[in-house]
Amino acid sequence: MVWLVVGVLGIAALLVLRFAVEPAALPNRLQDLLTLSISVIVESLPFVILGILLSIVVQVWLPEGLLMRYLPRNPVARRFCISLFGIALPVCECGNVPLARGLIVGGFTVPESMTFLLAAPIINPITIITTHQAFGFDDGILVARIIGGLAIANIIGWLYSRHARPYELLTPKFAAECARAEGDDHHHSRWGKSLDIFVRESSAIMPALFIGALAAGAIQVLVPREVLVSLGSNPLWSVLAMMVLAFVIAVCSNVDAFFILPFASTFLPGSIVTFLVFGPIIDIKMLAMLRTTFTTRVLIQLTVMVGLLSALLGLVVNVVA
Amino acid sequence: MVLVAAVTVATAVLAVTNQLQLYIHPRYILFTVIMVAIGGVVLVASLIARSAGQEDSEETPGRASRAFSYIGLVLAAALAVGMLALPPATLTSATAQQRDVSSTTVGADTQDAAAVASAPAAAFSSFTVIDWASLLRQTTDVSFYRDKPVSVVGFIVPDSEDPDNVFYVSRFFVTCCAVDAQPTGIPIYLPDWSATFDADAWVQVSGTFETNPSSASTQPLAVQPSEITPVEQPSDPYLY
Repeated sequence: MVWLVVGVLGIAALLVLRFAVEPAALPNRLQDLLTLSISVIVESLPFVILGILLSIVVQVWLPEGLLMRYLPRNPVARRFCISLFGIALPVCECGNVPLARGLIVGGFTVPESMTFLLAAPIINPITIITTHQAFGFDDGILVARIIGGLAIANIIGWLYSRHARPYELLTPKFAAECARAEGDDHHHSRWGKSLDIFVRESSAIMPALFIGALAAGAIQVLVPREVLVSLGSNPLWSVLAMMVLAFVIAVCSNVDAFFILPFASTFLPGSIVTFLVFGPIIDIKMLAMLRTTFTTRVLIQLTVMVGLLSALLGLVVNVVA
Repeated sequence: MVLVAAVTVATAVLAVTNQLQLYIHPRYILFTVIMVAIGGVVLVASLIARSAGQEDSEETPGRASRAFSYIGLVLAAALAVGMLALPPATLTSATAQQRDVSSTTVGADTQDAAAVASAPAAAFSSFTVIDWASLLRQTTDVSFYRDKPVSVVGFIVPDSEDPDNVFYVSRFFVTCCAVDAQPTGIPIYLPDWSATFDADAWVQVSGTFETNPSSASTQPLAVQPSEITPVEQPSDPYLY
């Protein structure tokens, strides 16, 4: 409570400062770092809020077991259905993190929720529409993106379903939260519980978003982009360069097709596909946000596996197209 | 919690002062404002609920890597302070140079050379640097640019090859937010320009494309300016 008052007063004081004091000009690079980082935050913020709200709906307002009841029993078919959830949800990758957390709390297994998390940003309706607007059906980019994304999500979901104790994939803090939710106390009203979840999720996600945004901004200011672009026409290097670019740029999956469109003339189609599949799942901002939920070990495994699979996908498209 | 409040307030201030477009494409502004408004309402509601005496469920920090999370928190707080206390700004020439103004292929199809060839001179007054850059990629035949007066607004980025005599009048082209901003510009030939103008300054340039006299620059054509006047930064500095 004390901290809250301090915080509110602090915010007010800073605002007064902004309008009252003539600011000293920052050096260009520092100013750009700030602009880029804030831009990542402002862009992601509405999706994060939407994701948290959907997560609350799944955890509190949907009748218990509603989603479970209609899913197939067979684990592989079940994960495949879950990987299709994203079609109905216009949430890009940052909003999916709180939603995937909500699914785990709501009773889904960790690999199932991971399958959702990896597939949803790629097959969400806005992403499909913008990718189609940007590329049409040229070079199979759209088809390769959707099928490749679903395949990678399901393969990784399957791999983790082999894990003997899936709760060990989670950070101890989040695992404890899930355990607490299972022995749920029912004397909270639904509204009270919703507010609780909002507070809890936003305090978990926001610092991660800030740190991810700062890292993304810093890399962009420090690494010259032409280094990557100059690698564009080699079948192997172009794929790797695009993965690095996707990792660094941390742009939302809803619009990454437009972002990459100008590069389409210099880069091979396979490398574009790699960018469009790897970027939504793994980038510097996402790793910071996923760290709220999964252990560092899992994140390293994820990065390597998704990297290898999407590179493979890109190389195949390069050879075929 | 404080971070959430900070970012909500900061975004709301940006929205009220009409400066969100410094960070994101205008088509996302409505969505952002709606979600932030909802977030704000829920935030206030949960503050009220808390002060009304519900138990505080503050978690104790995880045992592992506590120092690391403190560093992270300090960085996040610094960013939040910057977001609140500093006025918003556009990207500068530092980022433009980083992203290589001349080789960008942004808006490759904004103008078609064949269609433009016979357009009346008046049509070119509305051409932006993106339109011209798009034409430059299609043809560098100097006779094509006869009777096509250039008049564009942008900020100055020094040419990397001949920084003394050539600069680019540049704009950032934004598809989603400032993160993906791609700089685009057209070369201007003005010997010793930095004696009169500073990098990053916003200018209006009039002139026509001629063969580039600079020997160090690889650009075949450059605008021979007839007039360069300093202007204020436009209220929406990016192009979409």
